[in-house]
Amino acid sequence: MSSREDILQNIRRNTRVRYEKPDLSVLEQGAITYADQVAQFCKVVAEVGGRVVTVNEGEDVNALVRKLYPDAKRIASNLKNITCATFHPDDVEASADLDGTDLAVVDGRIGVCENGAVWVQQDVEQRAVYFISEALILLLDRKNLVNNMHEAYQKIDTGEYGYGVFISGPSKTADIEQALVMGAHGARELTVLLL
Amino acid sequence: MKVGLFIPCYINAVYPQVGVASFKLLKSLGVDVDYPLDQTCCGQPMANAGFEEESVELAKRFDRLFEQYDYIVGPSASCVVFVRDHYGQLLAKEPHRCASEGKIYDICEFIHDVVKPTSLQASFPHKVSIQNSCHGVRLMHLSSPSELNIPYYNKLRDLLSLVKDIEVVEPERPDECCGFGGMFAVEEHAVSGQMGRDKVKRHMDTGAEYIVGADGSCLMHQNGIIAREKLPIKTIHIVEVLAAGL
Amino acid sequence: MSTKHSKAAEKFQENKELAGWHDQTLWMMRAKRDKISREVPEWEQLRDMASAIKMYSNSHLDLLLQEFEKNAQANGAHVYWAKDADEYCSIIYNILHGHNVHRFIKSKSMLAEECGLNEYLIQKGIDVVESDLGERILQLMHKKPSHIVVPAIHIKKEEIGELFVKEMGTEPGNNDQTYLTHAARKNLRHKFIEAEAAMTGANFAVASTGEFVVCTNEGNADMGTSQPKLQIAAFGLEKIVPDREALGVFTRLLARSGTGQPITTYTSHYRKPRKGGELHIIIVDNGRSNILADQEHVKTLNCLRCGACMNTCPVYRRSGGYSYTYFIPGPIGINLGMLKAPLHYYDNVSACSLCYSCQNVCPAKVDLADQIYRWRQKLDGLGVASSSKRLMSGGMKVLMEHPSLFNLALARASWVNSFPRSLVYNGLNDWGKEHEMPQFAKESFNEMWKKGKVK
Repeated sequence: MSSREDILQNIRRNTRVRYEKPDLSVLEQGAITYADQVAQFCKVVAEVGGRVVTVNEGEDVNALVRKLYPDAKRIASNLKNITCATFHPDDVEASADLDGTDLAVVDGRIGVCENGAVWVQQDVEQRAVYFISEALILLLDRKNLVNNMHEAYQKIDTGEYGYGVFISGPSKTADIEQALVMGAHGARELTVLLL
Repeated sequence: MKVGLFIPCYINAVYPQVGVASFKLLKSLGVDVDYPLDQTCCGQPMANAGFEEESVELAKRFDRLFEQYDYIVGPSASCVVFVRDHYGQLLAKEPHRCASEGKIYDICEFIHDVVKPTSLQASFPHKVSIQNSCHGVRLMHLSSPSELNIPYYNKLRDLLSLVKDIEVVEPERPDECCGFGGMFAVEEHAVSGQMGRDKVKRHMDTGAEYIVGADGSCLMHQNGIIAREKLPIKTIHIVEVLAAGL
Repeated sequence: MSTKHSKAAEKFQENKELAGWHDQTLWMMRAKRDKISREVPEWEQLRDMASAIKMYSNSHLDLLLQEFEKNAQANGAHVYWAKDADEYCSIIYNILHGHNVHRFIKSKSMLAEECGLNEYLIQKGIDVVESDLGERILQLMHKKPSHIVVPAIHIKKEEIGELFVKEMGTEPGNNDQTYLTHAARKNLRHKFIEAEAAMTGANFAVASTGEFVVCTNEGNADMGTSQPKLQIAAFGLEKIVPDREALGVFTRLLARSGTGQPITTYTSHYRKPRKGGELHIIIVDNGRSNILADQEHVKTLNCLRCGACMNTCPVYRRSGGYSYTYFIPGPIGINLGMLKAPLHYYDNVSACSLCYSCQNVCPAKVDLADQIYRWRQKLDGLGVASSSKRLMSGGMKVLMEHPSLFNLALARASWVNSFPRSLVYNGLNDWGKEHEMPQFAKESFNEMWKKGKVK
């Protein structure tokens, strides 16, 4: 008999009581909400080591990106309106060629107010771009802020690439004596541009 | 309402004055209290060490001893909660049951929840730091455990607030274990001793003169540390404070 | 009266400075957890629901695992089932061997520790690189984790500085944490790029979508899996959750409980292989399905591996991860070790004062202390109970069952107070090593009552 059958049979033999699936609706409907979502989101993103920059009506996003990262030389973006990008991440031959990217500007789909996480649904072939660049800018429409993870999970999708990630702040570690250091392996800096 | 006073073994032997204070306190509150003779031990030390079956006979004795009372009240949260949480299972095979576990109370819990006095005669002009004991907090719910997201409450503080001239504080890490744990204190003496020293230090850091608690065993452990290290703080059982001047 | 744990703990306590630092640092994680959990008004309800979901999923494993398998296969993944550690290791080796992989990058997985994966693969000639910073430090030092979330918590930065001089060419004497972390970033960046396959564990596997979720702060799981196109993921079968709705509950609890963060930096959802790549998923039993039959301990399968029970445990904080004989320390480790091999791991059962704090911090409400209490009751039956503890318990039983003996002992007890110190505080008295003995009263309460002195 295969291991699969062995395991399944052992599970069936040993399962004693079958517990009901809980109804989460009371929890979800009563879960935390925020009167001022933008203020809450900005506060938490700052707490997790990132920053939110609000983009005003009519403001030039490219000028803002350049102002925020004046020294960035290699700027990757797959977004048509990011004209300050120096290359499209899928134009590299191998994902390793993305190493040395100074800044990546990508789309954020949903922002979660309780924890500052932004849902990034893979929309380029080389998803390394989300992690390998030194700094990451996530563009987020303020209409796409949700209060909490329950609301977020009702809206997310992993799309045709079958991958998505909540990103909350820059990469970090505290593995050496619990001292917090930004930039473990992923982006050292994270900026959310709130449109 | 007839109350049987339960005096745990170590209080009988080491802290009889806690028993006396308990009796006086209950009487002063108009409680009809009696002490059934020949009490020994509830069986917790053996059970926590892993020898539950050696507690069964003690549980039977205990059950018989307190048969005629409406309430069993004792000045030791840990012992009381052992009876409450374990006797049902230990005595599951007994045909004749008096259900001690359903009518036993820690004395603070009993006074706070059943007697509900609005004032006490006691005066205790000292600063005291509350020893929130693990079993008192997490099994008996004498105060809100620091781990849970529930509103703050503390029955010991409520009772102490009825005492005149007292100043009541709680240490940092207000309900971290002091390291007693019965035979744990012997088997894991290095960790237990360090827990005790840390706990006493946090009580001292409040500037209190006394560590006050509802579990004499935690106080006994800390008292042993205080005596060994010659530290400038004392321990006192909460009933001795509540009964001060009686 | 001692155990391997108590002896190792005594040794750990010899370095008071380090032991004090360890206690305080882990307590800070507990304090951060307390603070952030209070920002969520529905916190206790979340814990109730997390426990209820786990009780549901762990009692429907046969159905949920098959649902997961079907969906994962439809997504284009290969799914394997491993009965035990050996099968898990050999499946992974065969995948790597079949693709001619020599350079293999891994993100942190307690399952890999459990199954001895690294040793197995290295022996077969595969260069395994741990990518979590703490794990990498330990790998280079040839040491084991001492905590499941902060694995190198017991190592001082000076030791790491010295190690990095040798391994990464850092400046001697520069032990600044930021400097060292960024040196490792640079060093590991090459490893990521050169790797021919990457592996992760999984925090959650979602039956309804066939995806799995990995939570990291460093981004190492994603750095690894976004470079080579061959990806392997393995998880213990209790990691299954029914659907994304359940993820809403668990992702709110996991990091808040473990490190006091609102969520981990990266919460990655892997559903399909990369274009032109392969995704291999291994579902591992290794004793878990047997736990289902043990009603007294089945809730250990609720565990999310957040580490909160370690951070709160007053014994763990003061004895360190290496004082436990099982590879997972602390309250959950005591219980998992006993479920794995009681005769091998019973020494850890002493490492508990039954303070019950672990039960209150556990986000999935594992009844950790109740289970330790139950294990203690079983030690005698297993033939491994401490003989001196049995003797003491037996002696107390005789004394306590006979009030006349007890009263006699009480009457004589104060006599002990006057014993010479050398007799009381000898090497055999473990209480006396830390404390003074309690002073017995001249008259017991029983005695006072009989004499009418209690009024």
